[in-house]
Amino acid sequence: MDIFLQLTLSGLSQGAIFALIALSLTVVYRATTIVNFGHGDFVMAGAFFVYVLVIYVELPYVFAAISAVLIMLGMGLGVSRGFIDPIKAGPHIGFAMMSISLGYVLRGGARFLWGREVFPMPRVFDIEPFFIGNLVVTGDVLFISAIVAVFLLIFFFIFYRTTTGVIIQAVYQSERGATLIGVNVRAFHQSMWGVGLAMGALAGILIAPISLLHPDLGATFLIRGFAAMTLGGFGSLGGAVVGGLLLGVAEQLFGFYINSSLQDITAYLIIVAVLVIRPAGLFGRTVTVRV
Amino acid sequence: MDTHNEVLSVSGLHVSYGTKEVLRGIDYNISEREVVAVLGANGSGKSTSLNAISGFVGASSGRIVFNGTDITELAAHKIFRLGVIQVSQARDLFPGLTVEHNLRLGAAVRNREEIEQRLEVVFNYFPRLSERRNQQARSLSGGEQQMVAIGRAVMANPKLLLLDEPSGGLAPQFINEIGDIVQALKDDGATMLMVEQNLSLAFKVADRFIILRDGMVSDGGFVKSLEGNHDEIVRTIYL
Ligand SMILES: Nc1ncnc2c1ncn2[C@@H]1O[C@H](COP(=O)(O)OP(=O)(O)OP(=O)(O)O)[C@@H](O)[C@H]1O
Ligand SMILES: [Mg+2]
Repeated sequence: MDIFLQLTLSGLSQGAIFALIALSLTVVYRATTIVNFGHGDFVMAGAFFVYVLVIYVELPYVFAAISAVLIMLGMGLGVSRGFIDPIKAGPHIGFAMMSISLGYVLRGGARFLWGREVFPMPRVFDIEPFFIGNLVVTGDVLFISAIVAVFLLIFFFIFYRTTTGVIIQAVYQSERGATLIGVNVRAFHQSMWGVGLAMGALAGILIAPISLLHPDLGATFLIRGFAAMTLGGFGSLGGAVVGGLLLGVAEQLFGFYINSSLQDITAYLIIVAVLVIRPAGLFGRTVTVRV
Repeated sequence: MDTHNEVLSVSGLHVSYGTKEVLRGIDYNISEREVVAVLGANGSGKSTSLNAISGFVGASSGRIVFNGTDITELAAHKIFRLGVIQVSQARDLFPGLTVEHNLRLGAAVRNREEIEQRLEVVFNYFPRLSERRNQQARSLSGGEQQMVAIGRAVMANPKLLLLDEPSGGLAPQFINEIGDIVQALKDDGATMLMVEQNLSLAFKVADRFIILRDGMVSDGGFVKSLEGNHDEIVRTIYL
């Protein structure tokens, strides 16, 4: 029982990061109907910016983190303006091609600058682990869970309880309707790209101190984001969060109780199983996803 | 017509979808507090002409001037901010939001300070919406949805209201109700350009009419001068 709880706890904190990634993918998807296949690499880029700012510029972690989020926010606006807007008249598959390519460019850039080395990030906060009964709560678990929880509270509060949130919901429901109430839909798309990449960067920032950074990190995050979305229901914001948490826990449990080699393919197994058994996921509306 | 209080003037407007030219040089204008009905058969370009004014489709040539400002090349959200507000043919409500949220959103961009007063105004026009304020828009009947669509536009305090077939697809009982609302808006001083296929409704409220045919203004005039003789008009539109 103790080991089960311990695994669940670390699964939840891993899952919190997957939840962020899935949520950030969903934000862009719901606003623009674009599935950002390069998202993992943008997450990786966020993590690398933190690394560079901490190691080379010697910024304190907190400032490095804020800067990385802002850089990725700007990158989101730029990507939308520079690479998505111009191809809007083309076929929808062009968006998928574009996002994959941009991701690979980032990945290639990271490889070029850093080679294929693996980078340890210095510890950020030395929070002493503490015990709840026999359960060990490490500083990392506490730090990640707290940050993600606070972020999610703010996110969902804005979405459901503020005028800005109601406007976002409105644009999600009808773009034509949104233009009829004077919303600049093009600017909206751009800002959702910005928000999506900034949220992805937040995930990267949380990952950076607890894992080894390497340029190919993105692919593993992308697939976990997709698995979380699929499990929660493609396009559902709440579903992305729940899906991410469940995926995190599932990885830990499968890895321990069945076979440790299973941990890495849990995400794929979940995607396959959910699509076969319940394609709309846990909270999914029946939507057709175009890529 | 006195050009001093001219609100909108459209001149030489051409609009194409791809290679298909839908509007081939149309001209008309509206003065303050005037209600102009746009008539024409299905596919004659009535909605396209409203959408060109709202900036939803681009003009290939011609000029649209609103209160002295050339808005031909302006983005849709900027035209909205000037006070040109459209109620579209498809209504385009936010189906999962409540009636009240739909209405409030009408004033979220342009008229935020006055949102509470305007809501009051809209509920006065549409007491029925007040009763249903917490209901999701998708659960309303077609006529009630049309009321929300008009109410949402009124929230923005329009200087020029573009109505695209307000009676379209509605039961007779609702057509009368919508007709009364349009009349009430007019009595309160609204300037309106109204596409309408229901001629008795159009002629009841409009001061003037224009007829679109093959992408051109084929006819037009003052409703009064028709003296209730509408058969001629029906022929001009459809035959
Ligand atoms: N987005 C579009 N792309 C291509 N063609 C279009 C588009 N919108 C309208 N059309 C075409 O342009 C013509 C005029 O359409 P429009 O909607 O302006 O007519 P309408 O007079 O409003 O008709 P209705 O009475 O049916 O509403 C039609 O032939 C229509 O098929
Ligand atoms: Mg029409």
